Amino acid sequence: MFKHILANAGDINWMALFALLTFFLLFVISAVTIFFKSKGFIDKMSNMPLDDSLKLNEE
Amino acid sequence: MSKIEQFSYDNAIVKKFVIATVIFGVVGMLVGLIAALQLIWPEANMGMAETTFGRIRPLHTNAAIFAFVGNGIFAGVYYSLQRLLKTRMYSNALSNIHFWGWQAIIAAAAITLPLGITSAKEYAELEWPIDLGIALVWVVFGINMFGTILKRRENHLYVAIWFYIATWITVTVLHIGNNIELPVNMWKSYGVFAGVQDALVQWWYGHNAVAFFLTTPYLGLMYYFIPKAANRPVYSYKLSIIHFWALIFIYIWAGPHHLLYTSLPDWAQSLGMVFSLMLIAPSWGGMLNGLLTLRGAWDRVRRDPVLKFMVVAVTAYGMATLEGPMLSIKSVNAISHYTDWTIGHVHIGTLGWNGFLTFGMLYYLVPKMWDTKLYSTKLANVHFWIGTLGILFYAIPLYWAGWTQSLMWKEFLPEGILKYGNFLETVTQILPMYALRALGGTLYLGSVFVMIYNLMKTAGQGNFIANEAAEAPARVVAAAHKGEHWHRWIERRPVQMLVASLVLVLIGGLVEIAPMMLIDDNVPKIASVKPYTPLELEGRDLYIREGCLGCHSQMIRPFRSETERYGEYSKSGEFIYDRPFLWGSKRTGPDLHRVGGKYPHSWHYNHMLEPTSTSPGSIMPPYPWLVEDDLDVSQTAAKIRTLQKLNTPYPPRYDEIAVEDLQKQAKQIADNLRKEGIEQDGLENKEIIAIIAYLQRLGTDINPKPRAEN
Repeated sequence: MFKHILANAGDINWMALFALLTFFLLFVISAVTIFFKSKGFIDKMSNMPLDDSLKLNEE
Repeated sequence: MSKIEQFSYDNAIVKKFVIATVIFGVVGMLVGLIAALQLIWPEANMGMAETTFGRIRPLHTNAAIFAFVGNGIFAGVYYSLQRLLKTRMYSNALSNIHFWGWQAIIAAAAITLPLGITSAKEYAELEWPIDLGIALVWVVFGINMFGTILKRRENHLYVAIWFYIATWITVTVLHIGNNIELPVNMWKSYGVFAGVQDALVQWWYGHNAVAFFLTTPYLGLMYYFIPKAANRPVYSYKLSIIHFWALIFIYIWAGPHHLLYTSLPDWAQSLGMVFSLMLIAPSWGGMLNGLLTLRGAWDRVRRDPVLKFMVVAVTAYGMATLEGPMLSIKSVNAISHYTDWTIGHVHIGTLGWNGFLTFGMLYYLVPKMWDTKLYSTKLANVHFWIGTLGILFYAIPLYWAGWTQSLMWKEFLPEGILKYGNFLETVTQILPMYALRALGGTLYLGSVFVMIYNLMKTAGQGNFIANEAAEAPARVVAAAHKGEHWHRWIERRPVQMLVASLVLVLIGGLVEIAPMMLIDDNVPKIASVKPYTPLELEGRDLYIREGCLGCHSQMIRPFRSETERYGEYSKSGEFIYDRPFLWGSKRTGPDLHRVGGKYPHSWHYNHMLEPTSTSPGSIMPPYPWLVEDDLDVSQTAAKIRTLQKLNTPYPPRYDEIAVEDLQKQAKQIADNLRKEGIEQDGLENKEIIAIIAYLQRLGTDINPKPRAEN
């Protein structure tokens, strides 16, 4: 039955390739760009949750 | 340096969501416990239709997911969003509309689901008027969140906020996609998709409800609250960025792993399996990032209950996200699907990951917002250990039960016949495991009461700060400069971020679903498959009302052990008039797809009235109300008209004679029952007749022989 479905569903190989390629591209682009970010920026971002409560009465 | 501005954080709205989280946590777990007890003692339904397993199972799942975890998400988001953006929520009014609107939806669910008003789609059972309400409240939440993001004092968006944004946009898409339906009346609708297509859309939704309601917002909370509680930054911010993009991209494709070996086309199954396996990478990246945040602070985990809960939560996340991909491998799924293994798996996720992260968050939030210390660390530890034991007592017996039952289903004698030909044997075998599971649930729920006492005492000794004063420099919108990284650019632009997330999730959704919708040949037609008669249609709607699909599948997989037990495997062409599809996902009872013609009418009558009379030892609840209540035919014509609009080929103006046809068929079945010795006044008008008509029709269309006479 599956053969019948595949034969009638047209050329669907592009879907697997499309999925793999878009994922690969996305992964590589985000990994490369993150790798080249400045340390200062990364530090600032990762410390963001810690300096969120500037209470007036603690000044 | 720009001018320092003074403002306040709105804690009052967080408090409201915290209280709702706790209340609905107890309600959701209690309903779950009652359901679990009914699997050992069916009489725990107290003899009422409204409290019977099939109806309260969706109540439990909806309460746990949308009421408990939902309110937990909003509590955490409203707390962290303000602080990460250094601004108050956009609008107090919208915050309150969101809160009360969401509680109203929960109340509507709590009323309609026990009444049997359901669309039968797992985790999307609520009927169309409530669906519209959900959409409305969700949009209010979205406006409030984006309003807050736009008036922020912080240029860059911390990774937790990206998770919130992705959650919002994806849940919007999923909710709309899975609830496209045509109303029959206020309380009944038929979906535009039928059979296989409906199944694919439903599990694209169902899986991503897990992904984008139970996972992504909680990952956002993890990235905020673990650093807060540990007082150190996340282990790797770079990793968190990769985690985010990889996770939201891959997650959306994985839905078909709920439909392996079903009538879903093979290409969609393979796609679902591959992407599910790929999910291990970002999931474990995120888990390790959470755990490694505690590097050098493990001694504090011993002392601080907040961290304890969070460590177990993240570990449970890691376990569940390893197990999920394993269960998506077709050969493993052949064993696990329809068994209690799946139930064990999801509870590692909900009890461990969602539950414990919520508890950790509550132990952090209440002392902070009430400006005091936790009343008792000892009690929090008691909660932690009893809760952990509860999870173990819940999950391990169900893993055991799942394996046991699956192996029993598949075991053949040397003669080539099934060793356990009677399905019931495979159920009674695992009842001790069900008892242990109920014990696990009791422990877990009991431990929550310890937390409630502790948190109330904590609140009692402190003073609630409704508006927490804060100050921060006014935002200077940084001009884009040459050569900056794209991600820095996008971090400053929430709207572009929203669009990018939307595009990513749509790619997965469309590539997977569009071919199914467009290519007609994906569902090979079977000429002998005809629409349901009016009586069968009403019977089917009763089957939906009673939630029969909570325990019975209608999908025979192409395995010898299944075709031997149930008959010919299910074909996609058999479901083209099924709105909604009723394949189910769990077999507490046997599959029903080929039950048509298997037993005489009187067997069904007696079985519904008292299941143990035909199946001694059965844990199916009795359905006396089906025998006592008259069938409501006032909506039959409207149902036929609605289905005609959806291209079900009833003859023109069939709605006018549908009830007449229904009564004719009902009389035939009633006469037949009388011949078999069933005596009852007005038998032909009872609901049981419709149920029998439907059950006797099931799976018989592909059989060229004339159908069992009515």
